[in-house]
Amino acid sequence: MRYWSRGDTLLLITLYVFVILFIIYPIGIVFLESLKVPNTNKLGLDNYVNFFSDPYYFKCFRNSVILGILTIISTTIIGFPLAYILARYRIRGKTIFTALTLLPILLPPYVGAFAFIIFFGKYGTLNLLLEEWGLISEPINFIYGLHGIVLVETIHLLPFIVLNVTAGITQIDPSFEEAAEVVGASGLWRALTVTIPLVVPNYMAGAFLVFIFTMADWLTPLILGQTDFLATIAYINIAYHFTDVQRKYMGIIATVLAASTCIAALLVARKYVEMKSYAALSKGTTYEGRVIPIGGIKKIIAYLYCIFISALVLISPFVITIAAFSRRWILTPFPEYWTFENIRMLFIELPMYIRNTFVFSGIALLMGVVVGLGVAYIVARSNMPGRDLLDSLFTMILAIPGIVVGVGYLIGYGSEIPLLGFSLARSWIVMPLALAVRRLPYFIRSAYASFLQLDKTLEEAAEVSGSSKLRVFFTISLPLIMRGVFAGMVMFFIMAMQEISSTIFLYKPGWETMPIGIFLQWHRGTEFGVPAALAFLMIIITFSLLMIISKLGQRVLGGAFSAA
Amino acid sequence: MTFIQIRNLVKKFGEVIAVDHIDLDVKKGELITLLGPSGCGKTTTLRCIAGLEIPDGGEITIEGKVVTSAEKGIFIPPHKRGIGMVFQNYAVWPHMRVYDNIAYGLKLMKLPKSEIKSRVKEVLELVGLEGLERRYPTQLSGGQQQRVALARALVTQPRVLLLDEPLSNLDAKLRERMRFEIRGLVKKVKITTVYVTHDQAEAMVISDRIVIMNRGKIMQIGKPEEIYMHPANRFVADFIGISNFIPGKIEALLENFTGVFSTDFGEKIICKISPRLKTGDRAFILVRPEDILMYKSNPPSENSFKAKIKHRVYLGNVTYYWVIVDSNELRIQAPPETYHKEGEEVFIYIKPDKCLALPE
Repeated sequence: MRYWSRGDTLLLITLYVFVILFIIYPIGIVFLESLKVPNTNKLGLDNYVNFFSDPYYFKCFRNSVILGILTIISTTIIGFPLAYILARYRIRGKTIFTALTLLPILLPPYVGAFAFIIFFGKYGTLNLLLEEWGLISEPINFIYGLHGIVLVETIHLLPFIVLNVTAGITQIDPSFEEAAEVVGASGLWRALTVTIPLVVPNYMAGAFLVFIFTMADWLTPLILGQTDFLATIAYINIAYHFTDVQRKYMGIIATVLAASTCIAALLVARKYVEMKSYAALSKGTTYEGRVIPIGGIKKIIAYLYCIFISALVLISPFVITIAAFSRRWILTPFPEYWTFENIRMLFIELPMYIRNTFVFSGIALLMGVVVGLGVAYIVARSNMPGRDLLDSLFTMILAIPGIVVGVGYLIGYGSEIPLLGFSLARSWIVMPLALAVRRLPYFIRSAYASFLQLDKTLEEAAEVSGSSKLRVFFTISLPLIMRGVFAGMVMFFIMAMQEISSTIFLYKPGWETMPIGIFLQWHRGTEFGVPAALAFLMIIITFSLLMIISKLGQRVLGGAFSAA
Repeated sequence: MTFIQIRNLVKKFGEVIAVDHIDLDVKKGELITLLGPSGCGKTTTLRCIAGLEIPDGGEITIEGKVVTSAEKGIFIPPHKRGIGMVFQNYAVWPHMRVYDNIAYGLKLMKLPKSEIKSRVKEVLELVGLEGLERRYPTQLSGGQQQRVALARALVTQPRVLLLDEPLSNLDAKLRERMRFEIRGLVKKVKITTVYVTHDQAEAMVISDRIVIMNRGKIMQIGKPEEIYMHPANRFVADFIGISNFIPGKIEALLENFTGVFSTDFGEKIICKISPRLKTGDRAFILVRPEDILMYKSNPPSENSFKAKIKHRVYLGNVTYYWVIVDSNELRIQAPPETYHKEGEEVFIYIKPDKCLALPE
């Protein structure tokens, strides 16, 4: 017999309406647009043929894929040993090192890029110091070029690998490795044959996130003076050359290709990224796993490694803080003129950025919580047909680059909606909506994890006591998962605050958020002080929010970004 | 009078048939136990009555009202069935005090505050938890949480009480005491109760009638003594108590359902014979360890056989012997003071009125 409660059915339908209106339709319209033959009403593959036959655009595509792969390789090489040290060795200051390695996720990558220019640039702190000490005569090019982008992305995305692999190693039942030792496999051989294969699912989820984040990042290359990447050329073509039909279509093709590549990556990593596989893997995370005390040279190497990574990670908040309180920082390793002028500018002249950020992220949070809890509930608790598809659709958002969402809303909702006489893309509500859609998958995952940890019989007991499903949700489920949900909300807010990829296409004068403010200030070529002050403020807000959930912090990050 | 009626109930989980076409009638005020090994479908049946599972086929009626009918497309959700339920892990809500846990259902009934208060007080006295209203569940012992769960299930004065292995998480001593307490309580408030357990001793103590289930099917329904004395088949005989089985066939039928059974080793045993058997049928004899006597010499003339002691275990109140008769191994329960060496030859005597031939 088939029976679904009316409430569940209504919720499922509402969620599908949301997905269709705000995810499938805008993304579909971008794909459709890419098939339009310019200056005709026909559909065809002409744009794609043009794109791939133009050596320049083909190079952009190739560069993006190469960047993604290089970043996976570099984060893996740096991240694996770090994860192993943090998960396995008993070292002092483990908590601090762990927290520091996670830090970069919380800072927007574009902020990191600015900081790296100041620190690693041709006349940056490092080069100037090296020259001063007489170690070099010519500045070394640390960051301008592909290697620079890889460097910035690697430091920003390292946490994805470290978080996932650490979680994976911690979860391994110690007896698996002991069994290998008993038969004589030790050291490297044991790691290669037992430990690493067991961590593959977790690693894949992390590697997938690294790939899609690099693939979708248009701003880091731009800040580092590079444009020959899919997302970057898409941004430039669409934002500046929308009236040039040829360039507009090449831009749209670039966004579609970025999205398609990410979706393909999702399909490859699908097994490891799905919410439900996450469920199967998350069991038995309650124990610490196998921890080995170390000594001697190994210990020194482990410490040096952790300290080195921490130092790399701390460069950008450190540089940003200095820059926020100084001016005229040119051609000196450290600034020589200290001032509160940047901060004052921020509060007197630019309070709009702050207000917009809070209002939009706040409304996005409301939308995200309602939709996200609904999806988590349906996937975790119901047996409705269409549940798995809903799960896949919301997981797919992970793979959709922000620029695709932005362009989709622009094209799909640019004109007035018939009968309503209202254009969504011209209303400010599109800003929080885009933020909500972009950050939903992460919130859903942490909410879903909370649901899994909640004993189902607690809800059933309320049902037989005479409570309807809706009332059970509000009186039993929600109060009991509140801790996890609240932590997920804070993470959602932090991530919504940083979002720029979709909103950069959607904002109108007066709607600028802090990231857009940073971008615009930089773009206008003002001194770096004001954008740095904005970035500094974002860092302060982020840290304050994290303090609220400090004890939950690591678990929350784990919930949102990892496979386990 | 039938209070809960189950007809042709089927529940599948994917390819697995958890409940396979079962029929069951529970009388008003009766305490019936669903007993069986894990995976036999007992909990699923209980959850179908509660409305926590949606059956694939069949019909369930409570007090003359159809609550589930796959064929007619009727499904009354759990919160409208007027039932009380106690879960295996108690499912006491950790974020509510004892008082709020128990008052939860009453508040939903929109009773006046004063009545809620007096009814919570009443039920707390009933389960012996007076004075603990302000406690949180984490401040209670397992046994106390169990009582809160029971109080919560009873306070709304439901038509039916469902208990899903409520004692399995308690320690052995408390478990034994709670059996009597639960039975006493249920009989005091005269509520129709369905109780699920895999513990046969618990079922024997607590039930008016026992339903033995295996692989989604009902094997036998009966009072505890009926089930023990007259098991319907080998599964029931094996599951309830300790049993010896001797294979063979029916040699001759005598009157009063007695007859002669010939074992596969050519021995003749006089025994009771199931009415479903006729001369020549393959069958097996069921005899309980306490119904076999041992003699050093001069055994009774019939139903006696030579045996060799294989193994002896002294348990304090009884001594168990494993003996070999014609390569059949039999278990015998003897008074603790008997002493036979392992390897010793003895005679055993099987009481003719206590052994039963059943179809294979």
